[in-house]
Amino acid sequence: MASKSHSGNGASSNGRSKKGKNGSGNGHSRFYGLPLPGVRTEDLSGSLIVVEGTDGSGRSTQISLLTEWLEGEGFAVETMGLRRSFLVGEDIDGLLAENSVTRTTLALMYSTDFFDQLERRILPALRSGLIVLADRYIFTLIARAAVRGIGRDYLHGIYDIALRPDLTFWLNVRPEVAFDREFKKSQTISYWESGRDMSLSNDLFQSFIRYQSMIKREFEYLSKRHGFLELDGEASVSKVNGLLRKRIASQLGIQNTNYKPSHALAHLWR
Amino acid sequence: MATLTSEISAAPQPAPERIAAAKRPYPGALVVVEGIDGSGKSTQLYLLKRWLEIRGYRIHFTEWNSSPLVKSATRRGKQRRLLTPTTFSMLHAADFADRCERQILPLLHGGYLVLADRYIYTAFARDAARGCSPHWLRNLYSFAPIPDITFYFRAPLDVAVNRIVAGRPKLKYYEAGMDLGISLDRAESFRIFQERILNNYDQMVETDHFVLMDGTVRVNKLQKLMRQLLGERVDLKQFAPKKK
Repeated sequence: MASKSHSGNGASSNGRSKKGKNGSGNGHSRFYGLPLPGVRTEDLSGSLIVVEGTDGSGRSTQISLLTEWLEGEGFAVETMGLRRSFLVGEDIDGLLAENSVTRTTLALMYSTDFFDQLERRILPALRSGLIVLADRYIFTLIARAAVRGIGRDYLHGIYDIALRPDLTFWLNVRPEVAFDREFKKSQTISYWESGRDMSLSNDLFQSFIRYQSMIKREFEYLSKRHGFLELDGEASVSKVNGLLRKRIASQLGIQNTNYKPSHALAHLWR
Repeated sequence: MATLTSEISAAPQPAPERIAAAKRPYPGALVVVEGIDGSGKSTQLYLLKRWLEIRGYRIHFTEWNSSPLVKSATRRGKQRRLLTPTTFSMLHAADFADRCERQILPLLHGGYLVLADRYIYTAFARDAARGCSPHWLRNLYSFAPIPDITFYFRAPLDVAVNRIVAGRPKLKYYEAGMDLGISLDRAESFRIFQERILNNYDQMVETDHFVLMDGTVRVNKLQKLMRQLLGERVDLKQFAPKKK
């Protein structure tokens, strides 16, 4: 199976992939709108590769494997993800535990978390020529806030100053499959991943399916708007990984796409 | 290449009179004071609050940057100087959103007269002086209700700066805009930073319908004027205690 694109402007036919591994040095094209205050886009020689997908889509597994493969090929890798900022990462954990935070505040705390990582960790990494693998990006943040009724234009306005990824993969899985995988992993379903703050259903399974279906619809819209490279997240780990490697290799100019995980990661290879 | 947003609703706000005519979605009213540090705005709002309080009006007073939500993050960020213009701005927006969604909006819907010491215009003036795009800032705060009246206290830069510097042993790092690298001298940096903020405020007088208040006028005289102007713009009777 080849990586399929939702709208025909993904995969190798989209404009971004023609830039080559060093991105473009012309103007603001590495940002959606105006660049962040104080950032010179021509200094950013690294690549930003995003893996999006709901919980249970295999994101984290794929990022672990890609990191090992890239390091084996001699590329230095930096990772980012949600709630990992020094500034507010733990504060968000606290807010989520309390369930008393309102939707706009939560959305803005997540964007603070995002920009703190971007400005203080990711941009320096890209200036040093590193490959940044993002375990989720602005798209999850936009989708989660949008299904809670916050305007899409408002959200896009906030992230207009974010860095545009060189590649964005979407590991698409059906909500039912995500449910099975998550339940198997943690023996329960998290409050926020089942959208229980939205009062969709008292039944946890129903709530999870309805919430994840809403998120999926937002992703379908975002995929068209931003040219995601959509992959079947229900395929085997090794198959998905092979597709990811192939596309990333052509982006970075890597000849060898063969890879077998080390002993440390062998348990992930299914 | 397309930008993320095709069109952001970031146009200057409509005049308060016109909104009143179009009927606000709540029975309450929002009164805001704005101005640079040392312009006298807090003193005047305090006196206005006392006047209304003593008479038993349904009021609530709210301050900029006071929510417990982001206290620890702001402290951490300031102490260790981690804040960039963007994260500084976002953190204050998160703080404001918390107050807006949990205090200001419910109180406006509950028919209160809400008095705000600084409001979104503080972010517009200050964060733009730090280098954030004014357009981006307008969008960031577009969820905020528009005030019924915004008093803008304006004092000449020297007067305002001297009031602050005289009463304070040391200017704080971010307060003085030291993160902007304007000057290594804190007092000098503070002055230039405040000047930029003042210029940004001045530009909003027209677009955001500020009521200009001369911060050099005697305190009691200015308060008398403030009370009079408020009475002309807001129907205070609806917040008065109900007679039994």
